[in-house]
Amino acid sequence: MKKSIKRAVSLALASTMALSLAACGGGQATESAAQTSDPGNNAPETTAEPAAAEGLEVNTTDPITLTFSWWGGDARHEATQNAVKKFMEKYPNIKVENQFAAWSGWEDKMSASFATGTAPDVNQINWNWITSFSSDGSAFYDLNKVSDILDLTQFSESALADCNVAGKQQGVPVALTGRIFYWNKTTFEKAGLDTPKSLADLMAAGPVFKEKLGDEYYPIALAEYDRMILMVFYLESKYGKPWVENNQLQYSQEEIQDGLEFIQSLEDNHVTNTIKGIAGDGADSLDKNPKWMDGRYAGIFEWDSAASKFEGALIDGEEFVVGQEFEDMGDWNGGYAKVSMCFAISENTEHPAECAALINFLLNEQEGAELMGIERGIPCSQAGLKVCEDKGLLSDKVAEANAKVLGYVEFPLDPKFESAALKNSDGTYYDVMAGVSYGDYDVEEAAEILVEGIEDVLNK
Amino acid sequence: MSNNKGYKKWISENLGMMFILPWLIGFLVFKVYPFGSSLFYSFTDYHLFDGIREYGMMNYVEIFTKSKIIKAFKVTFTYAFMTVPLKLAFALFIAYILNFKIKGVNLFRVAYYVPSILGGSIAIAVLWKAIFKSDGIINMILAIFGIQGLDWLSEPSYALFIICLLRVWQFGSAMVIFLAALKNVSQDLYEAASIDGASKWRQFFSITIPIITPVIFYNLVTQLCEAFQEFNGPYIITSGGPRNATTLISLLIYNNAFKSYEMGLASAQAWCLFILVCTLTVVAFISQKKWVYYSDEDGR
Repeated sequence: MKKSIKRAVSLALASTMALSLAACGGGQATESAAQTSDPGNNAPETTAEPAAAEGLEVNTTDPITLTFSWWGGDARHEATQNAVKKFMEKYPNIKVENQFAAWSGWEDKMSASFATGTAPDVNQINWNWITSFSSDGSAFYDLNKVSDILDLTQFSESALADCNVAGKQQGVPVALTGRIFYWNKTTFEKAGLDTPKSLADLMAAGPVFKEKLGDEYYPIALAEYDRMILMVFYLESKYGKPWVENNQLQYSQEEIQDGLEFIQSLEDNHVTNTIKGIAGDGADSLDKNPKWMDGRYAGIFEWDSAASKFEGALIDGEEFVVGQEFEDMGDWNGGYAKVSMCFAISENTEHPAECAALINFLLNEQEGAELMGIERGIPCSQAGLKVCEDKGLLSDKVAEANAKVLGYVEFPLDPKFESAALKNSDGTYYDVMAGVSYGDYDVEEAAEILVEGIEDVLNK
Repeated sequence: MSNNKGYKKWISENLGMMFILPWLIGFLVFKVYPFGSSLFYSFTDYHLFDGIREYGMMNYVEIFTKSKIIKAFKVTFTYAFMTVPLKLAFALFIAYILNFKIKGVNLFRVAYYVPSILGGSIAIAVLWKAIFKSDGIINMILAIFGIQGLDWLSEPSYALFIICLLRVWQFGSAMVIFLAALKNVSQDLYEAASIDGASKWRQFFSITIPIITPVIFYNLVTQLCEAFQEFNGPYIITSGGPRNATTLISLLIYNNAFKSYEMGLASAQAWCLFILVCTLTVVAFISQKKWVYYSDEDGR
C-alpha cells in the first residue's frame, strides 16, 4: 500500500516537470478576445479625420516616472542614455527609467508585454509592430491627441501615414530605410575587379573570385531574408508591380519561380555562398561573420542604416564602399524604402503628455536630436535632420546610402511583408530560401510554398 | 470565551495549512491556472493579439497533419532516445570508476560534476557553437591531421548529434546519484562473489546493476522528462536549423507562442508533449515490475 503511494507521488512529480512546459504555452495568455481585426483591412493609410489635440499640458511640478524601451547596439544605448539624461535635466520632476538590450530576443519580450498591457510608457518599435500588435489601435496611444506637445509637422505626411493604422497615429517615424549593396573594395581589387555597378558585373565577378582568390571567396553573402528581399527587388524591377497591393499578392507562381531561379543562379555562379556554407560559419549575423570581417565575403545587401555597423566590423586595411542599386535588373526601379522604426506611446500610459514631451525632445529639439545623432538612421524629423546637418553628425556612408536608396526605389511595402510567420527564422521565407539552397525543394515547389505561406498571412 | 477557544482550535488544526499557504498560492497561480487555461486555449485559435475567433479541434488536427510539427516530434524522439541511454551509460561508467579508491578522487568528482552545472547555461551553448563552426576548434584539430573538416552546424545529420553531445556532456547530476547508489552496495556481496571466482564484469552485471536498478529507474524517468523538454541547446546553437533538423518540440512551442503568437496551437503542442511524457513515464513505471529490484519486497 505504502509503495503504491510512493509510486503515485513519483508519477505526480514526473508529471509536474512536463506540466511546467505546458504552463509555458498558456501562461502568457490574457483575455483579449474582444480584440477583433478585420482581415485584409490592415492597410496603414487611413482617410479618417485625425483626432484633435486634447490640450494636455506637461506636468513640470509633480514627480513623475516614465519607462522608455529600445533595442540596439552600444553606440545607440550610449547616445540615447545621454539624451534621456538631458531630458531629465530639462524636466527635473520627470524621472525616465530606461529598458534596453540587443535585438536578439527583444521582439519576443516586447510582444508579451504589449499583449499583457505591461509595456513601458515610451517604446522604440519596429514599423510592422503597429499592424502586428495593434491592428485595432489597442496597444498604442493616438499621437494626434498630443500633437500640441509632439510636433508632428516635422515629419512628412507619407511617413506619418505609414504609421497611421485603425485611424490612429500610433507611432512617429524615426527614420526611413531601404536595402542597398555595400562592397569590400579591397577584396575586389585583389580579384582585379572594380566593385559591381550592375547585376552583370556581379554575376561576372563570381567565377573570377573563385579562380583568382579561391573557393572561400564570394562577391556577396546573402542569408535567407536578404535573398527574399533581393528577389522582390528583382521581380519588381522586371515586372513593374508591387509585391503586395490591396492585400493581394501581385505575382503569379511562375513569376516567383523566375525570381527563385535568379536567386539560385547567384549560388550556381559562385556569386554567393550556399545557405549551408553561411550557417556553417556559426555567426549570428553577417556583421559578426569572420568571413565578412576579413574580406572573404566581399559584399552585402543591407539596410542603408547598417553601413557603420558593417564598416566597423571589417579588419584594418579593408576598404568599405557604398554600392548602388542595379539598374539592369529590369525596366523599373524595383525595391522599397520603409519606416525603419518608430517611437510610440503605450495606450495604457498614465502620462501621455510627458511621454510626448520626451519623444519631441529626442527627435525635434536641438539638444535631444544632437545627442541622438544618427544612431537610428538619417532622421525623418526635419528639425532633427537640420541639427545633424548643422553639427556635422551625418556619417558620409550612411547619408550616401540613404540618399541612393530613397532616390531610387519606387514601390510601396505592405507591412505584412514583415509578418512573423514569414520573416522569422522558422517562417516561410527561411524555409523557402534554405529549402532551395539545400536542394530540398525545386523552384516550382518552393514557389508554391511561398505563395501559400504569403496568402495564409494576407488572409488572416 | 468559547469563541476564543474555537479560534485557537481552528488555528491548531490548520496551522500546517497556513505554513504551506505561500507555496500553495504559487502552485495554484503559476502551475494549476496556466495548466488549466492552456488546456482551454488548446481548443481555440487563440492569437496573442487577435484573441479567439474559433473553437474546436483545429490545433490538434494541425499537429497530426502538418509535416513541420510531425518532424519536430520525430526529432524530439530521436534526441531523447539518443541522449538518455548515452547519458545514463556514461554517468554510470564514470561513477563506477570514481567509486574506486584512487588518489585525488574528490577532484575528479568535482571536475566531472561541473559540466552539469554549466551545461544548461547560455554561455556554454555559445561556446559549443564556436567549437563546432566551420573554422572552429574541432575542424582546426582535424586539419592538423590532414582531415577535411565537417559542416557540424549546417549539415542536418550532424547538427542533431552536436546538440545531443551537449546534453550527454552534462552527465554530472546523474553520475552523483549513481555514485551514491554504488556506495550503498554492500562490499560483502563483492567479496563473496570474488571467493566464488566471479570476474569484475560478472560482479558488475550480476551484483551492481541489479542492486542499483531503483536508481537507474529514477534517473531514467527524470532524464526522459528533461530530454523531452530540452530547449537551450537547439535555441542558442542552431536555432532549430539546419532545415529544422534540430527543431525540438519545445522550441517549436516557443516559436509558435512567442514569435508567431499562435497561443492556441502552442498550448495544444504543449499538451501533446505532456501526454507523451506522461505515457512514457507510465510505461516506464509499468515496465519496472520486470527489471527494477526493491529490497523491501521479497528481494525485488
